Amino acid sequence: MATDLQNTWHPIAASTDLVKRHVYQAQLLGREYAVWRADDGYVNIWENRCLHRGVRLSIGINDGRELKCQYHGWRYANRTAGCTYIPAHPADAPARTICNNTYPVAEASGLVWCGEHATGDLPDMSGFESVTALRGLPVNAPRDMVIEALGAYAFADGCSAQTDEHGVVTVTAADGQAVRFFVQPSDSNLSVIRGVLNQALDGAERIAALRHHNFLLDVLRSQVEARAAELETPEPMTPPIAKVSADLAEIPPEQEGGRTAELRVQVVDKTVTAEGIVSLRLEAIKGQLPTFQPGAHIDVHLQNGMVRQYSLTNGPGETDHYTIGVKREPDSRGGSVAIHDSLAVGDVLAVSAPHNNFPLRRDALHTVFVAGGIGVTPLLAMARALNSQGLSFEFHYFVQSHAHAAFRREMGEFGDALTLHKGLSPEDTGAKLRDILASPGHARHLYICGPGPMLEATRGIAADLGWSDEAVHFEYFKNTKEVDDTNSFQIELARSALSLNVPAGKTILEVLRENGINMESSCEQGACGTCRVGVIEGEVIHQDVYLNDAEKSAGKSIMTCVSRAASDRLILDI
Amino acid sequence: MIKLYDYELSGNCYKLRLLMSFLGLEYQTEAIDFYPGNQHKSDAFRRINPLGQLPVIDDDGLVLRDAQAILIYLASKYDPNGKWYPRDDAALLGQMAQWMAFADGITATSSAARLHDGLFYSSIDIDAARAGAHRLFRILDEHLFFAEEAGQDWICPGDHPTVADIACFPYVILSEEGGISRMTYPAIRRWCDRFKRIPGFIVMSGVFPAGPGFTDAAGVAA
Repeated sequence: MATDLQNTWHPIAASTDLVKRHVYQAQLLGREYAVWRADDGYVNIWENRCLHRGVRLSIGINDGRELKCQYHGWRYANRTAGCTYIPAHPADAPARTICNNTYPVAEASGLVWCGEHATGDLPDMSGFESVTALRGLPVNAPRDMVIEALGAYAFADGCSAQTDEHGVVTVTAADGQAVRFFVQPSDSNLSVIRGVLNQALDGAERIAALRHHNFLLDVLRSQVEARAAELETPEPMTPPIAKVSADLAEIPPEQEGGRTAELRVQVVDKTVTAEGIVSLRLEAIKGQLPTFQPGAHIDVHLQNGMVRQYSLTNGPGETDHYTIGVKREPDSRGGSVAIHDSLAVGDVLAVSAPHNNFPLRRDALHTVFVAGGIGVTPLLAMARALNSQGLSFEFHYFVQSHAHAAFRREMGEFGDALTLHKGLSPEDTGAKLRDILASPGHARHLYICGPGPMLEATRGIAADLGWSDEAVHFEYFKNTKEVDDTNSFQIELARSALSLNVPAGKTILEVLRENGINMESSCEQGACGTCRVGVIEGEVIHQDVYLNDAEKSAGKSIMTCVSRAASDRLILDI
Repeated sequence: MIKLYDYELSGNCYKLRLLMSFLGLEYQTEAIDFYPGNQHKSDAFRRINPLGQLPVIDDDGLVLRDAQAILIYLASKYDPNGKWYPRDDAALLGQMAQWMAFADGITATSSAARLHDGLFYSSIDIDAARAGAHRLFRILDEHLFFAEEAGQDWICPGDHPTVADIACFPYVILSEEGGISRMTYPAIRRWCDRFKRIPGFIVMSGVFPAGPGFTDAAGVAA
């Protein structure tokens, strides 16, 4: 049950307390918060514990875009508090469910406000349109005792105090100067006096006023603490910290299968970023967009019923929108043309939450990006993440001409790490790639995205020059292979204890869904990796372009949207 | 070469390692087994420091004890720019001395609490030690708050940290090991971040590094 105090807003800091690249530590009704301002100005108020080992995030590092735990380096994104990287699992994308608790936040009247379950308006501040926030003064005493003492506060001639039903004390002097006090209930025996003056002061006047009130409040504090010390100290509050949210702890209900588009976003900006390429800025209609990691894509459900996948180009911490880049495909089946010609600013789209099957390692000594044309989009997000962390990389962007180079502004931050390769023939491109990939070296990783033929060529050259499969990461736009679905076979689901027949003409994915197994999928053509499933036993005919050759020959996983069994049966890890 | 009689977990020894790192000085250490060996109370060590305390340095035959005294000596002798202990400003000399004496108070309270909690010094009055540290931290936080208001990043006026910052830092940043939270000292917490960003900063056990500070597009720190 939420109490009245939990439902109302309380100041927990002055705005000036939250300097950039700092983590402020706060407490409200016994609950501790890690509070940090991102470089974009947003104030994050989170549970003060890392989801991994419970270490306080208030000793973590605010890098301006993400908060990094000091203990094992887990990184959490601005706004969403979703985990974006786990150093101990460098090859994996953290699950979206790894998300810290966030709390309501507001910034007004020179103060930062929070409430565990706060809704509704902030306290009325009429008469305090321009303010000076006083130095917050912690008092070792219960809130009520502090409020009572503030009723006798006098800072000038003819002061009179009024205390409202919420415990807000306003003290007005004869000359009209006034100070309004909010008492932050940190814990049962710890309160913080947060006052604001009804005028914006600066310079020497500001410092004099701050010192004057600080001195008077210090005297008041001594008196209140002496009184509180005579009483029995109340037990500290013990706010519960849920181990795991109820919806995650329970077995999920059976759901309709199929690609879901759980988010509604509005097109807020549509800009031509290069010849034949538009960038779209998508913002949530309400609430917060889910966490993404570099390399992630979303399904965009277009107004004409088509579903298309687009990579997010966002840098780390850019969590108030998604930006995608869409190339007008000359042989489009209607997807990119619909976006270029029909979609307008203000339109609402249904999109999926981000899928990330193209995760970025951040433990490489050096990372090489090779982007061709619109394939730049996922690699842009990746390089921005490395750049923000100061990790070593080089970015090669192959385009027809200068006019075809998209997202130049965003790439400006790469400096010398960026090389544009303009108008090269396939032969010249191959020669250039041989230069770029000449030294595979230790802990160097290569990420490739671009048109199929270029991607094939780059993978071939990398293999020739000694890059191992584990060091080469790629993502195809689409699977152009002809898919053969003429055979029929059995699948056994080891964890679900089901045995099913996959007939000719149907995919494993379709059969699973028909039988109530809720499967995530995205591109449904063997390119994106979302519907990947582990294989325990059986031979696989791989028809996707997601897995690399080593993974295909290992036979440990299968893309259920296109691939099939070579044997009579497959035992799958679902 | 300078020899530091050192104990890895000592905040007072850490003060000297910090300054020598800021100054880029080479030095050698001789490890003294403070706990559990109690080697600083041994007869052999008492010949070096009759008080039986760490740290001590031996600089080419000059033997000095007391972290604050050694800070003054090293900064005076080895800081070519005279920034860490400026000697030409009487007011500043007084302020540095005042805050270095204050740092001794932090050692007597916050460090004592840490010895009690971490190294089994059960005879220490832990409640008094913690209360004493909080009393000092309130004063330091207020001082640093108004320093910030005056556009001043460090304990003493000027645009460069001094030995006073080094003297105060270790047992402030290690206070939680003695059960002394710094939650209610936001200005101290910000100053700790600034201190950790001084070029040449090094950590010790229990002290974590800060990330890079904020600079705007023009490269100006804010």
